[in-house]
Amino acid sequence: MDWEAELSRAVSEGDEIKAVEVAGRALDAGAKAEEVLEKGAVAGIKEAGRLWQDGDFFLPDVILATEAYKEVMTILEPRLSPGEISYKGKVIIGSVEGDAHDIGKNIVIALLRCSSYEVMDLGIDVPLGEFVNKAKELKPDVVGMGAYMTTTMRGMEEVLRMLEEEGLRDGVKVIIGGAAVTRDYAERIGADGYGDNAAETVEMVEGLLGVS
Amino acid sequence: MGMMMKLNEALLYAWGLRIGRLDGFERLIAGIYGRPDRLPVITQPYTYAMGLHGLTGHRFFSEPEPFINASYNMGTYFGVDFWTPVFDFYNIELEALGQKLIWRDRSEPDVDSSDLLIKSEEDLKRLRPPVPGRDGRMPFVLESYRRYIDMVGVPPMCYACSPFTMAVLIRGYVNFLRDMRRKPAFAHRLMEFLSMEVVAPWISKMAEDTDAAIMVMADAWASQPNVTADMVREFCLPYIEKIIRATNSPLRTVLDTGSWGERSVKNPREVLDIKMDMMVPGNSFKALRPFFLLVWNEDYEELGIPYMRAYSDEKKVCLMLNIRPNLIEEGPADRIVETVRQAIKEGAGKGRFCLLLNLVPIGTPVEHVHAAVAAAKQLGRYPIPDDLDGVKCEIPDFVPYEEWVRREGRPVD
Repeated sequence: MDWEAELSRAVSEGDEIKAVEVAGRALDAGAKAEEVLEKGAVAGIKEAGRLWQDGDFFLPDVILATEAYKEVMTILEPRLSPGEISYKGKVIIGSVEGDAHDIGKNIVIALLRCSSYEVMDLGIDVPLGEFVNKAKELKPDVVGMGAYMTTTMRGMEEVLRMLEEEGLRDGVKVIIGGAAVTRDYAERIGADGYGDNAAETVEMVEGLLGVS
Repeated sequence: MGMMMKLNEALLYAWGLRIGRLDGFERLIAGIYGRPDRLPVITQPYTYAMGLHGLTGHRFFSEPEPFINASYNMGTYFGVDFWTPVFDFYNIELEALGQKLIWRDRSEPDVDSSDLLIKSEEDLKRLRPPVPGRDGRMPFVLESYRRYIDMVGVPPMCYACSPFTMAVLIRGYVNFLRDMRRKPAFAHRLMEFLSMEVVAPWISKMAEDTDAAIMVMADAWASQPNVTADMVREFCLPYIEKIIRATNSPLRTVLDTGSWGERSVKNPREVLDIKMDMMVPGNSFKALRPFFLLVWNEDYEELGIPYMRAYSDEKKVCLMLNIRPNLIEEGPADRIVETVRQAIKEGAGKGRFCLLLNLVPIGTPVEHVHAAVAAAKQLGRYPIPDDLDGVKCEIPDFVPYEEWVRREGRPVD
């Protein structure tokens, strides 16, 4: 099997150890980083997404594929020049301050990456101001926030207010989700989108950005 | 009246010998096994009680006195049929094992996912089982239950963390997924350790100290889509069964519940079947199995209550539904009443039905909770009228919470 197929398969099967080993081998053999990315890692993550859409993969499979992709990226990223990867859009996403739950967020990240979005995971318990700082610094197309608890959910309104105050609101789409959040709440606080589940969130982002 | 008598009376009522009056606990038991006088409504005081009393997360979840006083006040104020002390039950055993937690003022503590207890296989070898009742906040739990029994006069419903969810929490979700796939022997060793050396002894200790009739293992992580049905069957169900068989008795039902996700899969029946498998061995007395089917609002709102009712009827099991916590927070009261009405119309049937008010958000107006309880009590009388829409529901006058606490002479702290 050539390294492209081997890497793609290792990523789609969620085998991060093998994926990193194959990617390293390909680089050592003279393959360019962007080639390893496109023909191996991205191909693998897209395959995982396709299998999930077809119902042959379950979410744990997609999550492990994304983890393998992330591991490969740790060795490819330092070798890539900016602009060499083509993404549909840039998303920053995190669980709001006080909230340590991240399963939903991680699933959304997995599916967005499968769909060729560049995603910066801000993590859990993200200070509200950090969403704004990162929006300023990274200029994303989408700011995503997740909340599991109604107590932490209220922080989302505050982030929207701060984005407005900083003059950043018009430049980004704000999407929210998580167990505590409802569509009504999203509408009330003026978010651009609400994802009831991870798959719906990806479709919503596509719609908001006008890409497919 | 002894516990045995109460259970007998409730069961006889449920099965048709409707004499005497049911108290809240008996109504719950009757509602689980048949038709009570009206549907039981139960609540988990949890952080809502903490908020009503202005307590910090640390005080509420580690000091028995304010914890039980606030929980008692909330459960009693709203007049629900049954409430039980609900601490952060996912954390007790793992904290006793040595897992670090993050504490917050306005919510329950969480596992510190940046410093997980089982980072490698070697860590499992080093782990020593906690001494049940001695380590971590186990003394807080037992003392809280003791105070509850003194105050309420019936044993609590006791909670433990299921071994599967505990494995995910102390190992990390992605790590445990990888373990199940690549290192199944290690995953099984971890499950065996957590089941038989941590959870089962803890359940036995709680049972011994409280004489509880119902012991619940909470298992949110055994939910799809988080994990697949095959994973649950291989790594979760066998251990649940082992724990249950090691700890149940004719007077004590032990069960695993709290999972969700019917709406997330192509075949919701498969998830419901697994939920039943988590219940079936619950009591060593066959006539008292299975116990109930708990379905969360996110799932029944999408798949419909009639679907869940039909499944429950087929399995001859009580259907327990929660009411969406956000709805109770946001109101208005009329909307809450209509939601409860709809749940009763579609779910109450001829019995084996129960409503749960869980995770009521901090700051929710008490009027909204009163509305939910009043609707359940007024609209949920058996037999449920065919024309339930024509039945009026009045929210009774109530005194503000603080005034009630003062008037009752209840401690606020």
